[in-house]
Amino acid sequence: MTIDLAIRLTELMQGLAFIQQSIEHLHRPRDEKILFACRIVLSAILMSGLLTTWALVGLVGVSLFILKRFNGPYNGGSDRMGLLILVCLTLAHIAPNAFWQNIAFGYLAVQLILSYFISGWVKIVNVEWRSGRALQDVFAYTTYPVSEHLRVFADKPKLLLIMSWCVIGFELIFPLALLHIHALYIALIIAATFHLANAFLFGLNRFFWIWLCAYPSILWFQGQFI
Amino acid sequence: MPALIPSWRFFDSIAPSPRVEYLLFDPQNENLGSWAEYRPRPERLPVWSMLKRMLYNPIRNETLFIASCAERLIKNEQEYGAHSIAEIFARIEHDIAHGLLKQEGQYLQFRLAFISRQKHGLEKHILFVSEIKKLEPKDASTL
Repeated sequence: MTIDLAIRLTELMQGLAFIQQSIEHLHRPRDEKILFACRIVLSAILMSGLLTTWALVGLVGVSLFILKRFNGPYNGGSDRMGLLILVCLTLAHIAPNAFWQNIAFGYLAVQLILSYFISGWVKIVNVEWRSGRALQDVFAYTTYPVSEHLRVFADKPKLLLIMSWCVIGFELIFPLALLHIHALYIALIIAATFHLANAFLFGLNRFFWIWLCAYPSILWFQGQFI
Repeated sequence: MPALIPSWRFFDSIAPSPRVEYLLFDPQNENLGSWAEYRPRPERLPVWSMLKRMLYNPIRNETLFIASCAERLIKNEQEYGAHSIAEIFARIEHDIAHGLLKQEGQYLQFRLAFISRQKHGLEKHILFVSEIKKLEPKDASTL
């Protein structure tokens, strides 16, 4: 994949993801509605391919206002990934030459790898995760399960122990998928399935869409070195 | 800088989990009512609803944001307190104005309960109780 194609795909996916998120805010009070309506317009401009740099700079500005409005991220990790993609795309567009463009867009790929690896690392060093207890607690009492019925999983310790190790193992070995393009495709399909499961079980739909937006960067990145 | 160097420490530990509970009452009424959980999750959610939520999930995402407000408030009341309290009150008032919650009184109060696993099982502790707020009659579209 060429860097131009990867960047264009990221812009299109990011635009769609931002529009999807922003529509959810249009029923809110006026100040919130205006902010997210601006984001929809700028996302549409970004997707059109016209005035791309200005649209990106505008989206970074709107994102900062959104951060101020909610006194931090509205949706934690998904907002952080959205802003990271936006900043990397902006830097890639204003980069003075191809070298710096590669650095800016490659940084997004590196952060995507770290998003999985660090998540796996913080789990494997925690005895609660290694024993399956942490995942039991997630189902037993956190705010995440989308229905009370899902709390029955808390009573299935063997299943959750296996699931815990599957998640930890996958997140830790994810960087190795860079060694071969086919391995990377398989890893990204597994990762997307993992995000989809989180969206179904915990209602984290924004994570699914925004993480997908960063996938073109790693597909391009893999081709540069291997 | 957090935008360029994000923390990816998802679920590194399972912290006590917040629940927002609210009380609507009239002081002159002898029966003060009881605390109710704000936006409790449904008993079951059909797969079709989960699919729809992939594209449009405003209530769930807002509920997660309210949980973040509760956690921020307890973590650092001085820095986040005023904002978090205003956000939680605004959302409860919005639901009352739109008929999603039954207005059983003119006064509103909320509290934050945190559930955690202790030696003998799950325990619930009330860590914050808001001031009482008198509900003003408002145009629903402004909330």
